[in-house]
Amino acid sequence: MIEFQHVRFAYEKGREVIRDLSFRIARGEAVGLIGANGAGKSTVMKLALGLLSGEGRILIDGEELNRQTLASARRKLGFVLQNSDNQMFMPTVYEDMIFGPLNYMVSREEADRRVDEVLARLDLQALKHRHNHRISGGEKRMAAIATILAMEPEAILMDEPSSALDPCNRRLVINTIRGLEQTKLISSHDLDMILDTCSRVILLSEGRIAADGPAEEILRDRALLERNHLELPLRLAGG
Amino acid sequence: MNKMEKALHELTEMDDLAARSSPVHALHPTAKLLSTIAYIIVTVSFDKYDLGGLFPMLLWPVLLFEISGIPLRTCFYKLRIVLPLVMAVGLFNPLYDRAPMLLLGGTAVSGGVVSMLTLMLKGVFCLMASFLLMATTPIDSLCAALRRLHVPGMLVTLLLLTYRYVGVMTEELAIMTDAYHLRAPGQKGIHVSAWGSFLGQLLLRSMDRAQELYGSMQLRGYHEHFHYAPIRAFRLPDGLYTLACGAAFLLLRFVNLGRLLGGLVVR
Amino acid sequence: MHMADALLAPAVAATMYVASGTTAGISIHKLKKDDEPQKLPVMAVTAALVFAGQMINYTIPGTGSSGHMCGGMLLSALLGPQAGFLSMIVILAIQCLFFADGGLMALGANVWNMAFYGCFVGYYLIWRPIMQSKLFGADKKAQRGRIVLASILGCVITLQLGAFSVVLETTLSGITELPFGAFVALMQPIHLAIGLVEGLVTSAVLLFVFESRPELLQCVQPAEGEGAKRSLKAVIAVLAVVVLVVGGGLSLLASSNPDGLEWALFGNAEEGYAENMGLDEDDYGIESAAAEKAGAIQEATAFLPDYAFADSDAAAGTSVSGVVGSAMVAGVAVLICLAGGFFRKKKAEA
Repeated sequence: MIEFQHVRFAYEKGREVIRDLSFRIARGEAVGLIGANGAGKSTVMKLALGLLSGEGRILIDGEELNRQTLASARRKLGFVLQNSDNQMFMPTVYEDMIFGPLNYMVSREEADRRVDEVLARLDLQALKHRHNHRISGGEKRMAAIATILAMEPEAILMDEPSSALDPCNRRLVINTIRGLEQTKLISSHDLDMILDTCSRVILLSEGRIAADGPAEEILRDRALLERNHLELPLRLAGG
Repeated sequence: MNKMEKALHELTEMDDLAARSSPVHALHPTAKLLSTIAYIIVTVSFDKYDLGGLFPMLLWPVLLFEISGIPLRTCFYKLRIVLPLVMAVGLFNPLYDRAPMLLLGGTAVSGGVVSMLTLMLKGVFCLMASFLLMATTPIDSLCAALRRLHVPGMLVTLLLLTYRYVGVMTEELAIMTDAYHLRAPGQKGIHVSAWGSFLGQLLLRSMDRAQELYGSMQLRGYHEHFHYAPIRAFRLPDGLYTLACGAAFLLLRFVNLGRLLGGLVVR
Repeated sequence: MHMADALLAPAVAATMYVASGTTAGISIHKLKKDDEPQKLPVMAVTAALVFAGQMINYTIPGTGSSGHMCGGMLLSALLGPQAGFLSMIVILAIQCLFFADGGLMALGANVWNMAFYGCFVGYYLIWRPIMQSKLFGADKKAQRGRIVLASILGCVITLQLGAFSVVLETTLSGITELPFGAFVALMQPIHLAIGLVEGLVTSAVLLFVFESRPELLQCVQPAEGEGAKRSLKAVIAVLAVVVLVVGGGLSLLASSNPDGLEWALFGNAEEGYAENMGLDEDDYGIESAAAEKAGAIQEATAFLPDYAFADSDAAAGTSVSGVVGSAMVAGVAVLICLAGGFFRKKKAEA
């Protein structure tokens, strides 16, 4: 579904943030992207979405990402931002949800149907006509996920989906993510959440892959994690 | 509460009022917008000495306030901005225009006083009308109405987006202001050494935010056109309401209701 | 400087709407031609920032007074004149719709007075020529100097133009009996002080942006040859001296009132009121409203004894029915309120 082949990227000349990165995520996989601050997690996400472009090849659903394929690639991907305020720019939740589908030339009836379906699935009907700046942080995160689901993407990319949430809302978000059948790429420092939602983990360090394997394996490797400025997930550390 | 928090509070208050339901809320936003503009134009068009003719214009906003159930109190709070300004200009009139105009209980009232009072009433009435519009119409409906009236899409979209981020920015500045004053007790404002960096920091962060926002729009297929949620069609009752308002305003403009009513009682 | 609906005659308001609307139309056309879709979110976020930023109190050193920023110059230096103009329109619209600052009908005039001058005059006649000139030299230090100069000149001049327009519009509307000359003499000096403070605040913000992200500013080439690096602190210290000498002096002269720009209200009871035109810059606070009321009462009591007790004349005779009628209208209004309250109570009980 998402494939990187020898990708390099630098924000400023001479200071590469991503150095020769290659990996492949199959359809339906749930992959956690972990690493210390500044390891390049967000940059990887933005590269995959075509918000940044670097050297090397990026393939989305087998198609190389370039100017011509950008629109069709983006149609297959959904991106949940870390700051929901930046994602939800319309006045109400409903208008935000309908924004994406309408832009992709879905009919209004179909868009309305999708909105209602997604809201029902996530049990968020009460939020439909609420104003975006009046809902709580937890509600905002769930609504942000809903706006992406309404676009019916084939893969979902999430940047820190569990940050700044109370335990209850965090659990709600985790359960929601687990319930999604799409391909998932989740970047986070919340390793417990990664353990709950992902079967595979890619550990980034200074723009390179430091480890790539089953979540259970990597997240139990205390030495590897500590080398990369991370700690064992609490759940595993306790035992 | 600092200034920004007060402003936020005012914004949420308007939001809450607009989210209520009443016959006035249910009217089509275009009908409300048009009738409000008509009301303001008629109100300010009264002659500067026509206090008696202007006064009955009070009935329309009062009637709507009662039907919509919007408390007048919230509206009068907003007078604190408009009234001083209008008074500032109007208060010169009694100084310059001293010719007696009418007699009240043996006291002659000069033209200047009459024109000052007229001006103040105009200010209050116009405020009541536009407050009513915003207290019964959510911003998204208003934007849809503006689109219908052929206001350029770019401007309407900008209004909508800005409104959305006014809340976010005001909140951030409110927090920053509190944080500043916690570390600088006793200072009334921002010290000169932080003049540039205080707003500048937020400005730079905002540029990144705008970039992220644009990314998020792109990812959801934004090209140039914005799609809006549909609003209901303009129906016959909306048209009738607009026409009735227009007719009533014109009637009040050219028939002095006050004198007419008074004439029934006083000979 | 926000005009209220009541201060404008419909014809004047309509003229200003046409003028501002045309400028907006041209700006939109230009922006569409440039085709920079990423500009819209930047405009929205910057406009929201300026909206909030107008509420910040800046302490003017040595005076105990504080000043504010209005934003027209800042927006056009960051976004360019067209985008800045549209952003200002939106800010003014939100202030008028949600905060009753200005008015629906006066919006056209307010856009003209505050946005047109600040963005177009400020950009094309002041910001761009100064920034592209070789004034002060060619190094980074010179660029800083140009930014400060352009900001201060821009704010002062555009605010003067705006204040003059306010006077012109009010006089043309036949609202005030105050002679044109006296009105101008009241408005211009106070806006000179306001403009100076606003210019200093604007230049401080722009300098900060220049230090960290010069590419964000219009007409600024990334430094050609690094000059002697002067820290921001030093620049601001220089600014502070300028403020002290010029702006502070003016404000000090005027009052010891905490909010410097409101000095006129108390400083000069005889003719102070028109200067309130400048005061709405700071009208989100309550204190000023209370001050207004106190002033109003004082003024009213001072005026009353002046009125002559005249003999009854024809005008007075006809006015009686008008007064009685108005009382009846007021009665009807009260009745409506009572009825409304009654029905709501019933509904609540039901």
